[in-house]
Amino acid sequence: MKGEVTTRVMVDLIKVTKFFPPDVTALIDISVSIQRGEMFFLVGASGAGKTTLLKLICNVEEPSKGLVEVAGEDLSKLKPRQIQKLRQRIGVAYQGFKLLPERTVAQNIAIAMEVAYKRKAVIVNRIRDLLLRLDLEDKHDTRVRDLSRGEQQRVGIARSVANNPELILADEPTGNLDGETTGRVMELYRQCNQSGATVIIATHDESIYTHTTHRVMELRGGRKISLTTASTTP
Amino acid sequence: MKFISNAIVQASRNIRAVWGSQLMTFVTVSLSVLIFSFFFLIYINMIQAAGHLGDNLRLIVYLEEEPNQKMKEQYRYKITTYEQVEDIRFISRRQAYERFRRQLGENSDILADMPKDFLPPSIEVYPIKSLRTLARAREFSEYLHTLPGVDRVQYGQEWLKRFYFFIKLLRIVVMLSGGLLILTSVFMVSSTIKLTILQRSAELELLRLVGASNAYIRTPFLLEGFFQGMLGSTCGLAALYLFYAWIRSRFSIPEIPGLFDFTFFSPQMAAAIVGASIILCVLGGILSIHKYLRL
Repeated sequence: MKGEVTTRVMVDLIKVTKFFPPDVTALIDISVSIQRGEMFFLVGASGAGKTTLLKLICNVEEPSKGLVEVAGEDLSKLKPRQIQKLRQRIGVAYQGFKLLPERTVAQNIAIAMEVAYKRKAVIVNRIRDLLLRLDLEDKHDTRVRDLSRGEQQRVGIARSVANNPELILADEPTGNLDGETTGRVMELYRQCNQSGATVIIATHDESIYTHTTHRVMELRGGRKISLTTASTTP
Repeated sequence: MKFISNAIVQASRNIRAVWGSQLMTFVTVSLSVLIFSFFFLIYINMIQAAGHLGDNLRLIVYLEEEPNQKMKEQYRYKITTYEQVEDIRFISRRQAYERFRRQLGENSDILADMPKDFLPPSIEVYPIKSLRTLARAREFSEYLHTLPGVDRVQYGQEWLKRFYFFIKLLRIVVMLSGGLLILTSVFMVSSTIKLTILQRSAELELLRLVGASNAYIRTPFLLEGFFQGMLGSTCGLAALYLFYAWIRSRFSIPEIPGLFDFTFFSPQMAAAIVGASIILCVLGGILSIHKYLRL
């Protein structure tokens, strides 16, 4: 699938521009198509527009100009009910984590699955599996406020993939992690990708995309600077 | 099923999160229901009593002279052509005296020196049930007063006027206390749910981000209103019942047969009060959800 030209587009951005009043231009004329099942890196320095781009894709923000399509749907034309359904198919790991500090690790991860009305047994098994993979198995009942930043980041990542979403958006997912944990997180994303999920990772951590075979788009000052093509060998 | 269990879990979480406000709301709803239902209970018992009064309504037409058979026929004719009646009874001076003597019972010897025809003759008129209202009775009595040989007409006007005025007053109090119930239930529940929404704002934002449906977000708050309405009104009514039972056991209500049989609400009426309280509290929830969650 990777590197092939296909009509099965998961994310399609066409001449997307985003202004924030009064005078901040976050993105200018961005066009890119991301295929289903693709792993895609969005890179650039802080303030380059990576987070804004992810927010447009998950419909947290609306573009000032241009078109954003996800899974063939023009987001500007979706009704609230359709947006809710779409969001259940998208897993987002936020830069600020968006965790509930008074809830336990398990409760935080469960939220994404509860809104999709997954069975309790499924939720319990999925949480155990994710905590094991992210080296958090002893934190199941720990309140999030008692975790380190790195642990909180992993909880956010676990929640983003818990519901087996078709599209995973990760905003600086390794920002607070050491090398070994970064490896675990990237391995988790790779497995999700191999299972068919489209994964878009926004990062400025060169170590995770320098030798990648996947496409990398660089942003600077809200503009697309470069977009590499995918290759079969690193 | 999963939806309902999720909603119940979240609603109980909401209640625990701001339990102080929840308690205040519960107490306020209970008190409002207690106050309203107290006056309402008195009101419906008075209405019942008014119905019984109507049942016993009769007009007594005092005559100047004892009527002969022909005059009796004329009276009967004039009365029945003006208004439908159930019964007309002519009471002679002698019959009035005997009745009075029986009513005096042991004290009847005070009549010993009195002549047996000192009481005026009268006609007792029993209107049909549909005419037994104060206004119709007044009209009828005015007509009867115009009949020849009639001295005066009595049907307990002053007492009835006061009684109906009391009922009117009570109706106003019931309406005011009903208004109080509406305002406090809607306002208090709305405020409490607003507090819950503000306290859970981060979680609600997250729920939207992970694609929770409006029903998923909204239902726990509506359940919260439902519980407040149900528990508050049930406790309010229970308190009123205890008060009612205590009053009945401690004080014997004047026994006027068929007039004051002071009763509690029927199960249907109690259910209606609980239902109305639930609707009001859920309405409070809807207002808050609409205002603060824009759902």
